[in-house]
Amino acid sequence: MSMAHAKLKRFFQDFYLVLVLIFLYAPIVVMMVLSFNSSKSRSQWGGFTFQWYQQMFESTAIMEALYNTLLIAFLSALIATILGTAAAIGINSMKKLPKTIFMGINNIPMLNSEIVTGISLMLMFIAFGVSLGFKTILLAHITFNVPYVMMNVLPKLKQTSKYTYEAAMDLGAGPIQAFFKVVFPDIMPGVLSGFLMAFTMSLDDFIITHFTRGAGINTLSTLIYSEVRRGIKPSMYALSTVIFVTVLLLLLITNFAPNRSTVKNAQAAAAGVMPGEKKPNRFGEFVQKGILIATSFFIIVGVCYTTYRHIAVKHSDELYVYNWGEYIDESVIEQFEEETGIKVTYDMFETNEEMYPIIEAGAVQYDVVCPSDYMIQKMAENDLLAELNFENIPNLEYIDPVYMEKSQSFDPQNKYSVPYTWGTVGILYNTKRLEELGAPVPTKWSDLWDERYRGEILMQDSVRDAFMVALKMKGYSLNSTDPAQLEEAKDLLLAQKPLVQAYVVDQVRDKMLNGEAAIGVIYSGELLYLQEEAESLGLDYELNYVMPEEGTNIWIDSWVIPYNARNKENAEKWINFLCRPDIALKNFEYITYATPNTGALELMDEEYRENTSVFPDTSKLTNSEVFQYLGTEADDLYNRLWKQIKSQ
Amino acid sequence: MNQPLIDLVNISKSFDGELVLDDLNLSVKENSFVTLLGPSGCGKTTTLRIIGGFITPDQGKVIFNGEDITRMPPNKRQLNTVFQKYALFTHMSIAENIAFGLKIKGKSKDYINDKIKYALKLVNLDGYENRSVDSLSGGQQQRIAIARAIVNEPKLLLLDEPLGALDLKLRQDMQYELIRLKNELGITFVYVTHDQEEALTMSDTIVVMNQGYIQQMGTPEQIYNEPENAFVADFIGESNIVNGIMLRDELVEIFGAKFACVDKGFGTNTPVDVVIRPEDIDLVEPEQGTLQGVVTHLIFKGVHYEMEVTTPDGYEWLVHSTDMFPVGRKVGIHVDPFDIQIMNKPASEDEEAVGVNE
Amino acid sequence: MNKKSKQLLAFPYIIWMAGFTIIPLLMVFYYGLTDRSGAFTLANVAAIMTADHMKALLLSLLFSTVSTVICLLIAYPLAMILRNRHIGTGSFIVFIFILPMWMNFLLRTMAWQTLLEKNGVINSILSMLHLPTLSIINTPAAIILGMVYNFLPFMVLPIYNVLAKIDDNVINAARDLGADSLQTFSKILLPLSVPGIISGITMVFVPALTTFVISNLLGGGKILLIGNVIEQEFTKGSNWNLGAGLSIVLMIFILISMTLIAKYDKDGEGAAF
Repeated sequence: MSMAHAKLKRFFQDFYLVLVLIFLYAPIVVMMVLSFNSSKSRSQWGGFTFQWYQQMFESTAIMEALYNTLLIAFLSALIATILGTAAAIGINSMKKLPKTIFMGINNIPMLNSEIVTGISLMLMFIAFGVSLGFKTILLAHITFNVPYVMMNVLPKLKQTSKYTYEAAMDLGAGPIQAFFKVVFPDIMPGVLSGFLMAFTMSLDDFIITHFTRGAGINTLSTLIYSEVRRGIKPSMYALSTVIFVTVLLLLLITNFAPNRSTVKNAQAAAAGVMPGEKKPNRFGEFVQKGILIATSFFIIVGVCYTTYRHIAVKHSDELYVYNWGEYIDESVIEQFEEETGIKVTYDMFETNEEMYPIIEAGAVQYDVVCPSDYMIQKMAENDLLAELNFENIPNLEYIDPVYMEKSQSFDPQNKYSVPYTWGTVGILYNTKRLEELGAPVPTKWSDLWDERYRGEILMQDSVRDAFMVALKMKGYSLNSTDPAQLEEAKDLLLAQKPLVQAYVVDQVRDKMLNGEAAIGVIYSGELLYLQEEAESLGLDYELNYVMPEEGTNIWIDSWVIPYNARNKENAEKWINFLCRPDIALKNFEYITYATPNTGALELMDEEYRENTSVFPDTSKLTNSEVFQYLGTEADDLYNRLWKQIKSQ
Repeated sequence: MNQPLIDLVNISKSFDGELVLDDLNLSVKENSFVTLLGPSGCGKTTTLRIIGGFITPDQGKVIFNGEDITRMPPNKRQLNTVFQKYALFTHMSIAENIAFGLKIKGKSKDYINDKIKYALKLVNLDGYENRSVDSLSGGQQQRIAIARAIVNEPKLLLLDEPLGALDLKLRQDMQYELIRLKNELGITFVYVTHDQEEALTMSDTIVVMNQGYIQQMGTPEQIYNEPENAFVADFIGESNIVNGIMLRDELVEIFGAKFACVDKGFGTNTPVDVVIRPEDIDLVEPEQGTLQGVVTHLIFKGVHYEMEVTTPDGYEWLVHSTDMFPVGRKVGIHVDPFDIQIMNKPASEDEEAVGVNE
Repeated sequence: MNKKSKQLLAFPYIIWMAGFTIIPLLMVFYYGLTDRSGAFTLANVAAIMTADHMKALLLSLLFSTVSTVICLLIAYPLAMILRNRHIGTGSFIVFIFILPMWMNFLLRTMAWQTLLEKNGVINSILSMLHLPTLSIINTPAAIILGMVYNFLPFMVLPIYNVLAKIDDNVINAARDLGADSLQTFSKILLPLSVPGIISGITMVFVPALTTFVISNLLGGGKILLIGNVIEQEFTKGSNWNLGAGLSIVLMIFILISMTLIAKYDKDGEGAAF
C-alpha cells in the first residue's frame, strides 16, 4: 500500500468520523445555542441571555421532576442491584432446567417492547387498586432494571472460581465472611456496572413511566413530553444544555481521570508488542468510579432536595387537581394554598379522552377536575361524578345564569358542574402567509378544503373537534350519530388530510406564532395570548381569528368533583375560590379564555370586554352547539373513523 | 546452505518517535532455521512483522528471493506466519481454517481436500476436520495454526512465539515436532522467541537482539560458548560476569588474582568483562585454587549441585558441580584458560542493558 | 453457604417476577381476550386485521426496518474505523460517539423538531444561503431520521465491542494467507461481527417498531404507527381491551422476529465460510 493511498484512506475515514459527529451533535449544539437566545423565535438570534436558565431553575415543576427522576433512578438501581445480585448468585447454583425457566422469565422485560411492559404494569396496578404515583413508577423501574443487573453480574459469577470460596473456608472464614471477603470482591465490578446501567436506564426511561405514573408526579421525561406537546419553550433548551453538560462532566470524570494505561496499551498494540501480563487493578478502578458517581449523585440530590423543600411547605390538608395544561395562573394555586392551608397537587391533561380513563379506573383519586361539556355528560352518565354541595360555593352568584342554562345541555339539573371558561372554535390565520400564498382570508369551514392552503393547515388532533369541522361544514349537527353523516364527514376529513400540515393540540399556538402554518383550527381563548405574544416578539405578521359562518362548537369547561374524591369539601372550596371575581380575572388575564364570571367582567379592561373574538355576542351563535356525550357506541364509531383518517 | 532467501537491508523503524529498530541488517539463508531471540521490546517481533508485511519500515529494504518486497502487501508475499496465540478463525471449522488460503488462491476442491488431509496428518491431528476451534486444546490449536500456514507451501515460515502459551511439557514436545516438520518440508523458518532454551534447541542460527540492535549472530554453540558481550552472556544461560583487567595477552586479573586465558589483542592493563559459566568452575582445595572463598549456599539439582561461593571481595560465584561441598567449607576456585571468555566493556549505553528481566 | 441456601437468595426475585412480570402479562392477556363486559372474545386480537391497524403495523415495520438498515450502514463503517484506530474500548473518541445516548431521549427528539421545522434552524440557514428549503417535518422521512438519530448509538456500541475484541493477528492471518482487504472483510471481519450486528439490530429494531413518541413529535400526528394506535387506545380512545389485544399481537410479532433473527444468526455462523 503506498503512502499516498494510506493518507487518502485516512482522510476519508476522518471525514466520515466528522460527518457522523456533526450528525450526532448538531441537534445538541443547536439546543445549546438556542438556550442563550433571548428571542423566543427559533429562527432569529435576539441576543444573549441567561433568562431561560433562570426560568428553568425557578420552575417548581422542572425541579420537582428532576428530583423525582434522580431519586427514582437511584432507588430503583439500588434495589434492583441488591435483588439482582442475590438472584444471580442463587440462579448460578441452580440446576439447568430451573435456571432456564428463571432466565426466560427474567428476560421478558428486556425482550418485550417497553410499551407492552408499561401497559402490562399499568393494567396490573389498576386491577389491584394500587393508585398510580411515585411508588408505581419505582416498582416498574425496579422491574425493568433487575435484568440489566443480572446481565452484568452473571458473567462475573461464572468467571469466579469456586475454589477461591472453598479456599477462604479452608482458611477459617465462615460462609458469609467467605462470601463477602472473597466472592463479592470478585463480582464487584459486575455489580457496579449493573448498578450504573440500571441507573442510566431508569434516568432515560419515558415509555414505562408514561404508563405507570399518576397524579402530580412527573419525571423529567414525562414532563418534557407534555411540555413539548404543548409547544417548545426555551427553558427546555436550557434544561437540555444542563443535562448534557452534567452527563458529559460526570462521564469524563469517571472514565478518564486515569487515562495513561490506555495510551500505553495502544502504543504497545501498534508496535505489535503484546502488553505484558500487567493487569490494571480493575476493582480499584471501579471503587474509584463508584465513589465519584455516588458523590456526584448526592451533591445533585442535595441541591435538588433543598430547593424542593424550600418550595414545598408542609400542609395539613390536601387537594388533588386535574386540569388542562396551561389552564390556570400558577400564582392562583399559591394564593389558594396560602389562604386555605390546603396543599394542592396539580396535574394536567391534554385531552378529555386522555383524562377520562384515568378517572374511570380510579387509579388516581383526583378531587376536582375540569373537563369539557360532553365529557361531563359522559362522566355523569357513568356515575363518575359527585353532586356538588352549592352551599359551599356561594360565589356561584357571580356566574352568569346564561352559562348555567347552556350547561343544561350536558348537565340537565346543574347538579355536577360549575362553568370555568367558555368559548368557540374557529380559524386562526396568518395574514402575511396568506398574502404570500395568494389565498383569501378564510371565513367558513369549507375554506379548509381550499387547495391553496396545501400543507399550511393545522387541524385539531382530537376526535370530536375534527369531526365538528366536517359535520358543521355540511350543515349537520356536531352531535350527529347518524352513521351516514359521520361516514361523509370521514370522507371529507380524509380528502382534507393531504392539505393538513399536522394534527396537533396545544401546539397550534406555538406553531402559528413561529409562522409554521398559515391556518390553524383553534380555541377562541388563545387569541388574546397570541396577539400579545406576536406583538412582544415584534412579528411582521398578524394573527387573526374568524368564527366560521356555518356555525361552530360552543364549549364550556366546568369544574366537577369525581365520585371517588377524598377531599370533597376542599374541592368545593377550590371551586368557590375560582369563582371569586378577582381570582377569575387573574385567571382570565393569564389564560385569556372567556370567563362566565360577571364579577370578573366588571373588573376587566374595556378593551378586552369588547373584543368580539373573545366574547362573541351569544345571540349570534344560533347555529352553534355545545358538544354532548353520544354514548359508547357512537364514541367507538367516532374513534374508529378517526383512526381510519389518521392511519391513511 | 546456499544463497540468502531473505535480506533485510538497513531497516529502521520507530513508533511514536521511539526507535524500535535501528539500521538493522539481517540475511537468512534458504532452508535454515533462524531464531530471533531477545527480551520483550527488543525489536524481534517488529522485525518479523516487517518480513510478514504487516509493518512497513521507515527506512531500508526487504529483499525476498532477489525481489524488493518492502511495500508489497502481506497477501501477495510468498511466505506465511504462525501467530502468537494462533489467531485461528473461530467462526470456521478446522478444515475451513486450513482451506482458507487455498480457497483464496482458487485451488480445486479435490486439491484442497487432499491438502487438508495431508496437513492434518503432518501435525498428528487426522480426523479433526469438522471440529470447532474452541473444542481444541492450546497445543492442538497451535498445530492447526501451523497446518493452516504450511498448506500454502510458503518458501518461508515466520513463527511468532508460537509456543509461548503452552505449558512446559507440551512446549518441549512441540519443539521436536517443529524440527521434524522443518526437516520434512524443507521450508526456511524464522522463529521469534524470548526463551533461550527453545532457541538453543531448535535453531541453526540464533540472532540475539536487544534495544533494536543485533547483539550477536551465530550458531547455538557460538552464542553459548563465546558470547560477544555481557548482554548475550547474561541472556543466554547462567554466567558469572565480573570485572577484570587484561594485564597482557592470555593473562587476566580478577579480584587481584591472576588467571591464565586464551584471549589476545586487548592490549595491556585494559578493563574488561570476564564471563565464566558456572559449570566451568572447578572447586578444589583452598591452596590449589586461584581464588579462595567459602561455600555459602548449596542446593541439590539432580544432575548437579548448585553452590554459591563467596570470595573475600564479596562476590558470590555461581558454581555447578557434581561434587558436593557443604556450606561453610573453605574452597579454592580454579578455571581452565579456555573456559574464560574475555569481552570488551560496552562502548555505548545501548549495549549495556544487562539484566533485562524477562 | 451451601447450594441450598445460595438458591434461597433467588427467592425474593422469583416472587418479584411473579408479581411484576407474570401477573402483568396475564393482565394484558385478560384484557386482550375479553370485551368491555368481561366476556371472552378474540375480536381485540383479530382487530389487527382491519385495514387501519394493519396499515399501522406494516408502516411501523417498514419504518423500523429502514431505520435499522440505515443505522447499520452508518454504524458499521464507524465501528470499523474506530476499531482500526486502536484507541481502546475506554477511549475518549469512542466515548464521544456513544455520549448522545445519555442525553434524554425526548430532548433528543425535540431537538430535531427544532431543526426540521418549516421555520426551523436548518431552513433558516438554508434560506439565508438562498438555497431551497427542506420540508421533511411531519413526513415519514422525519420519523425515520428521528429513529436513526435516537437509536444509532445502540447500533454502534455492540458492533464496536465485537470488532474491538477481534485480535489483530486474526486479520493479519487472513492477509498472510492471501486474502485482500475485501476478502478479509467479507470472510473474516463480517462473520466474526455477526453477534454484534444481531444485538445492534435487536436494540434498534424493537424500540423503533414500537415507538409512539417519535412519530408523535416528528410526524405531526399524521402518521399512525402501531405504537401510536396502542398508546391512543389507552390514553385517548379509552378502549383498553382493544389496546391490550393489539399489544398481544405486537408481543407475538416481536417474539417471532427475535426468533427469526436468532435463527439467522446461527445459520449465518454456519454459512459464513
